[in-house]
Amino acid sequence: MLNLDVALWTCLLFAGGAVVLAFLGPEKSGALMGQLGCQAVTFALAIGIAVSGVRAVLRKRFDSALMHLGCACVMAGWLMGQHAARTTSEAHPVTGSMAMIDGDRMDTLWTGRTLTEYVGKLPFTVRLEKFTVNFYEGGMPREYRSRIMILEPGKEPRTEDVRVNHPAYVHGYHIYQMSWGESTDHYGRPVVYTVLQFIRDPGLPVVYAGFVVLLAGTLWFAARFFTRPKGGAA
Amino acid sequence: MNIKMTPQGGLIYLTMAAFLIAAVLLCDKKNRHLGRGFWFAGFAAAVASVAYRGFHTGHPPMQNLFEFFLCMAASLWPLSLLSKKQTGLDTAFQDALLGLVILFPAGFVFSAEPRSLPPALQSPLFVPHVGSYVAAYIVLARAALMALPMLSAKAQTDPARLRQLDAASRQTAALGFVLLTLGLLLGSLWGKICWGHYWQWDPKEMWSLATWFVYCAYFHYRLKNGTRNPHALAVLLLLGLLFIILTLTWINLAHTFKGMHTYAS
Repeated sequence: MLNLDVALWTCLLFAGGAVVLAFLGPEKSGALMGQLGCQAVTFALAIGIAVSGVRAVLRKRFDSALMHLGCACVMAGWLMGQHAARTTSEAHPVTGSMAMIDGDRMDTLWTGRTLTEYVGKLPFTVRLEKFTVNFYEGGMPREYRSRIMILEPGKEPRTEDVRVNHPAYVHGYHIYQMSWGESTDHYGRPVVYTVLQFIRDPGLPVVYAGFVVLLAGTLWFAARFFTRPKGGAA
Repeated sequence: MNIKMTPQGGLIYLTMAAFLIAAVLLCDKKNRHLGRGFWFAGFAAAVASVAYRGFHTGHPPMQNLFEFFLCMAASLWPLSLLSKKQTGLDTAFQDALLGLVILFPAGFVFSAEPRSLPPALQSPLFVPHVGSYVAAYIVLARAALMALPMLSAKAQTDPARLRQLDAASRQTAALGFVLLTLGLLLGSLWGKICWGHYWQWDPKEMWSLATWFVYCAYFHYRLKNGTRNPHALAVLLLLGLLFIILTLTWINLAHTFKGMHTYAS
């Protein structure tokens, strides 16, 4: 049963690694895990976990199989997303933002602190119908809402409401209400602008599938303890 | 020190008093029934405290640490009862003490200033995500407390007692592990919907994941070694509890871990 020892130490190693990344902070951790080497290690670990899952199937421990295969699936989906980010192009960008005032039409994505670095072009055009901010009585923001119209060649235009916690989904891109601000136009008149973020992640369905499988496995695993006679878990 | 001279504070101190009296009474076999009465009264007061907070702020009371701790205290009694039915181990005494410990920061440390819900928290996933973690943390804390006697020499020379402690703590940890996984995955899903990414390498996320791995280690260890080394089993469950306490307090409040989940002002 050497493999269980390996599994135990892998779990503890993961726990320690997670703590190290917590101390590094989100930016440095994200950059570190974006490196090809780290992703190769993740790939190897995912294979190892998937092998454990397959072995569990052979031993007819299906709860364990689902948990391990679910984990491997999540890791594979994350790697797919990372691969897409590495091979991003101006014709098919993975992520970027656009700042717009009411009435603006745009089909390009931008990045950088002031959104002046060009990222790429979308396969559709976005028109900002209206951006609204609502406040609570005390002055705290209650809701940000960008009403946009999606214009795709050969398709009926459609409107979408983009709010925080309520992204729109168009042509493989999730569209998020990211930020907003006040500025002035060419004539010095005050305008309110909205910033929408666009994210394309081809690995997302794989990650979600992994979530479902992992959760099903965990439920199965725990259910085993609750269907046996009192104190009889072995 | 933050003593609350409000109805909210009154309810918290009432709960604490009931838990304390219950714990004292439950020590003695003669007063068991009265002790259970106070234990239930404490639960009723804790629920009233959560309900009052909900009405007072106008949203589900799960926004900050103060509200999270109130919810944990209110979920203790039903989880304790369920566990007694399932494991056959009566833990009312230690659960009442646990409630007292949980309510101390809510009653005397955390600020209870009500805040309106920002857009980021207005989601159908708000209550399931936070609720899963409330239940998971309580259940896993109870698992660690159940395993605590396994460290004593007496339990290790009594195989029947050891088997009972191991079965009860392992079953409890299994339930906690499901809730922990549910909370983690719901949080990840919510992160994707709200922030655009299911994983942000945020310190709170990393510590929650580390906690999850500690319990993975516990189950792998138990599978490999059985109860041959009860010390190690107890230590792993206590390590999990330590990670939970750190994630709840230090990671949330310390400026070392600035992220999307920071609650320090």
